[in-house]
Amino acid sequence: MLRVLAQNADLVIFLFLTGLGYTAGTIAERRHYSSISRREAELLRLPVVTFKNPYPVEALRGGVMVMGSVVISIDYFKRLLAILRNLFGGRVTSYETLVDRARREAILRMKDAARRKGCDIVVNLRLETSAIGQSANNRKSVGCVEVLAYGTAIALRRP
Amino acid sequence: MKFTPRPLSENVNVSKTHPLAELAWMLGGLALILMVFYLLVGQAVEVVAERLPADAERWLGRQALKNFTVVASPALDRRLQSLLATLPADSSLHRSDFQVWVADTDEINAVALPGECVVVFRGLLEAVASENELDMVLAHELGHFAHRDQLKGLGRGLVATFLTMALFGNDSSAASLVASFTLSFDARYSQRQEAAADAWGLDLLVARYGHAGGAVDFFERMSRREDAPRLAYLRASHPHPADRIRSLEKRIAARQYRLESVVPLDSTRLLAEPPRP
Repeated sequence: MLRVLAQNADLVIFLFLTGLGYTAGTIAERRHYSSISRREAELLRLPVVTFKNPYPVEALRGGVMVMGSVVISIDYFKRLLAILRNLFGGRVTSYETLVDRARREAILRMKDAARRKGCDIVVNLRLETSAIGQSANNRKSVGCVEVLAYGTAIALRRP
Repeated sequence: MKFTPRPLSENVNVSKTHPLAELAWMLGGLALILMVFYLLVGQAVEVVAERLPADAERWLGRQALKNFTVVASPALDRRLQSLLATLPADSSLHRSDFQVWVADTDEINAVALPGECVVVFRGLLEAVASENELDMVLAHELGHFAHRDQLKGLGRGLVATFLTMALFGNDSSAASLVASFTLSFDARYSQRQEAAADAWGLDLLVARYGHAGGAVDFFERMSRREDAPRLAYLRASHPHPADRIRSLEKRIAARQYRLESVVPLDSTRLLAEPPRP
């Protein structure tokens, strides 16, 4: 039995990594999502908008640029799904949660920075994204996505 | 305007499909496509193998022969000719001009290559103990030629390799999965070919010597040396030696072949003979 396993080492390693990727990836993703929704509820009263300048100058007490960035890696199982998806075409659903988590986490970190600076609202929100470790479907590199959220945090004069 | 913060109740950016369900669909679809493609191309290869012109086959044989360091062996040539002489006059093999080569490797094996080439490995020559055994091996290889396996096997192997390479490139994790899938598929086909060549070779051996003595001796010695578990043979190109013995013995019993004593053979003498110019 052991000998058969040793002869098919490549297959065994592949199945093991896929199983590990699925289990660990699912657990990590679930924990991340619960953390995201908890912190989103906490920061709900600090709005983020994409308007450039919604307030007259007199209303402002001050402004500062804030940013939040995060890098999230794919796991072995997600990559397998994406490789198969490359054959058939269509939505790469396995990466959807990845970028969704990255966007929300980056915005959360940015909002956190704004709150620490005592600001009331973040205007002119922009999102940048980049791939770290090109060609994620290649065995030799680990694919990650970076999302950077930045904007202008402003403190308003209280009436 | 008053700002009322509201949490988002649902996420439109993430699909609801379960990843395992998606995996099952895609793997199933891939398996189906591969199977259909492999069967179609496999059939096409067989059609081509039947009709391939002789010089194209000889060219393929020369390419395949480059993988071995070989010397020609007149003694084995004569042996093969005397086997061929016992074939019925209308046999298609009489039209071919076979050549036997000895490859300098310790591996115990012999292969039938396109272009009327039989390559016997030195390891095998050292392992055979009787003339009957050696003729059984040669007859087995002739069986491959009679069934034109030398081309079909090559073609199917190429298709399997091509498929995985084209789909996934040289080194990708999914490639190993698909490769083992097609390989096991291929192995089943190839094991059937080997069994058919065994049966064909047995009949020729009996035609040559008048009895089936020595037909299973070689495999019996191999199966004693072979300690690999049976499961490992699921993906092997040849059947387990014990299975080969069983089917050979079944055929010997069914055709009521006699078993008589074998002619001993000193294989060192075969190897020492000066090569054909």
